[in-house]
Amino acid sequence: MTTSERHSIESSFVLQTLDIEKHFGGVSAVDRLSISIPRGLITAIIGPNGSGKSTLINLLSGTLPLDGGMVVVGPKRLRAIRPYDSPNIGLTRTFQDVRLFEQISVLDNLYVVMTERSSLLSLFQRARKEHRERAERILHVVGLWEKRNDLAEELSYGQRKLLEVGRLMAMNTQIYLFDEPFAGLALHMIEVVKGVIRELQEYDRTIIFVSHNMGIVRELSDYLIVMDSGRLLARGQPDRVLNDPAVIEAYLGN
Amino acid sequence: MDILSRPGRPTLILAIALTLAAIAYISWKVTESPDQALQFTINGLNVGAVYALLALGFTLVYSTVWFFDLYYGAAAAIGAYAVFYLRAGQATDTAYDPANIGLNIALGLVVAGVVAWALHTAFFERLRERYAALLVRAAYLLVAVVAGGYTMILLQYPDNLHQTAAPLIALISAAVIGTVLYWTLSRFAPGSATPSQWVAILSVAAGLVVGAVAAIALAQAPESRLYISWLVSCLLAGVVSLALYRGLYAFILIRARSTLIMLVATLGVLLTITAILVMTFSNTTHPLPASFGNNLLTLGGATFKAFALFAIGCAIVGFILLWLLIHKSPLGKIIRAIGDDEQVARIVGINTTAIVAIVFFIGAMYAAFAGILTGQDIAIQPRMGLELLLKGWIASVVGGIGNLYGAILGGFLLGVVEQFGIWDIPGEWQDGVALVLLILFLSFWPRGIIPRR
Amino acid sequence: MQIRQLEISQNFSRLPQTLLFSLRNHLEIWATVIVILAAATFMLSRGTGFSITLVTVFAIWAMLAVSLNLVLGYTGLLSVGHVGFYGIGAYTAAVLTANPRQELLEGEIIQIFAWPFFAALPVAVLLCGVVALIVGVAFSRFRDDVYVLVSFGFAIIAYNVFVNWQWVTRGPFGIHQIPKPVIFGYTINDDLEFLLLTLAFLAIIVGISWLIVTSSFGRVLKAVREDEDAIEVFGYRSSRYKLAIWVISAMMAGLAGAMLATYTSFVDPNSFILLESILLVAIVILGGLASIWGSLLGALAFVLLEEGVRFVPFLPPEHVGQVRQIILGTLLVLLMLFRPQGVAGRFKL
Repeated sequence: MTTSERHSIESSFVLQTLDIEKHFGGVSAVDRLSISIPRGLITAIIGPNGSGKSTLINLLSGTLPLDGGMVVVGPKRLRAIRPYDSPNIGLTRTFQDVRLFEQISVLDNLYVVMTERSSLLSLFQRARKEHRERAERILHVVGLWEKRNDLAEELSYGQRKLLEVGRLMAMNTQIYLFDEPFAGLALHMIEVVKGVIRELQEYDRTIIFVSHNMGIVRELSDYLIVMDSGRLLARGQPDRVLNDPAVIEAYLGN
Repeated sequence: MDILSRPGRPTLILAIALTLAAIAYISWKVTESPDQALQFTINGLNVGAVYALLALGFTLVYSTVWFFDLYYGAAAAIGAYAVFYLRAGQATDTAYDPANIGLNIALGLVVAGVVAWALHTAFFERLRERYAALLVRAAYLLVAVVAGGYTMILLQYPDNLHQTAAPLIALISAAVIGTVLYWTLSRFAPGSATPSQWVAILSVAAGLVVGAVAAIALAQAPESRLYISWLVSCLLAGVVSLALYRGLYAFILIRARSTLIMLVATLGVLLTITAILVMTFSNTTHPLPASFGNNLLTLGGATFKAFALFAIGCAIVGFILLWLLIHKSPLGKIIRAIGDDEQVARIVGINTTAIVAIVFFIGAMYAAFAGILTGQDIAIQPRMGLELLLKGWIASVVGGIGNLYGAILGGFLLGVVEQFGIWDIPGEWQDGVALVLLILFLSFWPRGIIPRR
Repeated sequence: MQIRQLEISQNFSRLPQTLLFSLRNHLEIWATVIVILAAATFMLSRGTGFSITLVTVFAIWAMLAVSLNLVLGYTGLLSVGHVGFYGIGAYTAAVLTANPRQELLEGEIIQIFAWPFFAALPVAVLLCGVVALIVGVAFSRFRDDVYVLVSFGFAIIAYNVFVNWQWVTRGPFGIHQIPKPVIFGYTINDDLEFLLLTLAFLAIIVGISWLIVTSSFGRVLKAVREDEDAIEVFGYRSSRYKLAIWVISAMMAGLAGAMLATYTSFVDPNSFILLESILLVAIVILGGLASIWGSLLGALAFVLLEEGVRFVPFLPPEHVGQVRQIILGTLLVLLMLFRPQGVAGRFKL
């Protein structure tokens, strides 16, 4: 393998984990897991309940500290990810239990992730025209424009979930992590989220999502990772992986 | 997710260094002057006993309802002031006659309300099957009115407290002895798997006899009035606490979206009660009438009042009683279940409101007793509620909130640290030093010495 | 015509319900109207001198309330230690400006700086900022209930220092003869002029607060209040935001303290007991969390309450403070029961 070949293989992966670990008490939620996420594709992560999917997302976004191993993003090799650094390394995420800023308006929920990060500079910054235009476009996409001045806590469950997806769109990063974006949504809302994911892909972004819905996984994903008990069970093209007997036994068989 | 409570390595090294420095300082001081160290330790254990009692009650309430009840401080003040209210004639500044008919009526009504609620919760469903609902209601209202009237009489004629309190003492003795006997007999009685009716009747009867004897004995001993007033004060503080929970907190809790709401609401209660105390008893410091244990004892080079031993004993007994209640009694099992998850407890059919009300009653009794000990040891003043609240709160957080072992450990530790902290510094800095140490301690161990799970 | 009359009479019979309904939905407006009417009544009935005193006291409390609201309402940190910064500001200004012509007590000589007020003011404000920075770093690890506890602790430590650091603060005796401010050689001795100065400072504080809460910074503060872990994932270091607003708020409180010192020309530790801090929290919650207007309203209601209580018949004057405390305590409980965001608030606890 020549250097240029290795380079092209490495650069085709946007994010890699090397032997990352997370323990809760004596239980290993993620157990020496090494995976690679291809650049510019939609990757789905599936696995039975408690297989460590959400923990993996939490580890990647720095919400939980790593107990061991390393995350490689582009040229950076990280042994610890601080949550506030995750946008700098090109990551952003949604939460499984929808976490909005409840007592501020829908519009402010979007503005808040678009504005200046430095605490000093943000003192002198107000919502600008470009922010307003972007927020308006996003709210039209997720269908919440009419509700823009409502408090986030006044929205229904589905709308809250859509707003969280909208908040993700307002971030401009390389990798988007969706934790169960389709759970509990009505059909038309599922279509909206699918549309958002496809649109993000068109802009050459990498999408990782966790889901239990096999139909959507088959339809949407280009690459599939199956986890079980914190370990990697299978990976590869969705059709091939989903027909793998080991996967069927461990996951679909139950 | 406790991301925050995971100290990084530099913090840990700093914490260990500071702890070692503290140990080195104390051991240097101890070798320099062992007598002084002993004196400080005993003084610290003396105040620590009060803090431990406060922390025990505080932690019991907190680990059941999971919000900080700031009324708790007012309960301590109510306990101490009720003793003063009942025994002012015996105190040294006798120019003061606090008897206040309005206050008596108010407290009588509170007691009547609580008794009515208690009877309703305990018996209504069972008795309604046999008797008409109206009859049952009338009966427990009658009992409530009698209880309220009795409270008023107790409070109105404090000079005859040893006589007027006789029925109360008989009742309490009967209840306590009856429960203990019943429990012992039904556990160790040969051959009977389920305790019979007769065991119950026998225990209550035995309790009544003992209670009556005790009441008659006390009725002939006027010097017992002070100690009876301790009991009455504790009960009063407990009843007020129960009434507040059932009549107020329970309604706020239904709507509350965060524990801070409860904290602010109870802060309002604390403000109100403190102001009422100031208006009724003036803002000055009062001594309580002298109790036993004023003779000085010496141990090595240390001198202390015998009352200190009593206080330390009370803290230990209080801990044991609460431990037995929580870990060995059926009630404790239910209390722990509510602490684990109130909703689940409610779904499996526990009347959580009633049980939590009992917890509030017990917690306030601990606070009131701690207040009385402080009053007997030093003096009483209206701000003592806030001060004792903070001490109990700090002690329970330092020990590890929601944990009985932590509470008693934290209480005694806080007392001793307060004393040792001012070895080289003038004594008036005591509060400041103690709180600086507290903040330092909490920044390294935010969950206390013995964290709950 | 017949029908119309019926309608009117029906509406009339439903007036109590309608009124109650509108009261519940427009509590903010009603409260504003009532408070301002009460203020006007008091001022008209008691004359100008009284009005000036009243408004000056209001302005000082309002500065405190607005500054605490930045921390409590916008950032969601329930701090009960704000009185500490108020005291630090007051004492710094007092120590630096006091110029006693004769020692009040023999043998107790404290350092005399006799600075002009406007030289001492920035020092007082900056010192508050520095102390707040240290305290804020120490407090950054605490949340929710424990935060309340340690903020209680800060208030008590500050009081302890005021009482016991006698060679600076003169302890319980307090510092006397603090001069009035001097602008370009002109001494502000007149009450009305002093009032204007205080109002100018209040306006500055309200203006800065308004700029802060409407900026991107203010929006992040609210997000920190709602979900600190979530906002971190979007790239904000929440601890820095909390620290920044904490320091700004403390400096504002210090300014209020300095104004108090020069207004009363006397400071002693009794103005800075823990209870004052609790009352301040009550004012902010009563007026409305996350609302600057609410804090102004709360401070005005608080000042009026004291005057109003004086009118209660058969009430001994020494009980005025207690009755006010009872009313505030009861209002707090009622608010937590029915309106946890306060009268004009935008944030429910």
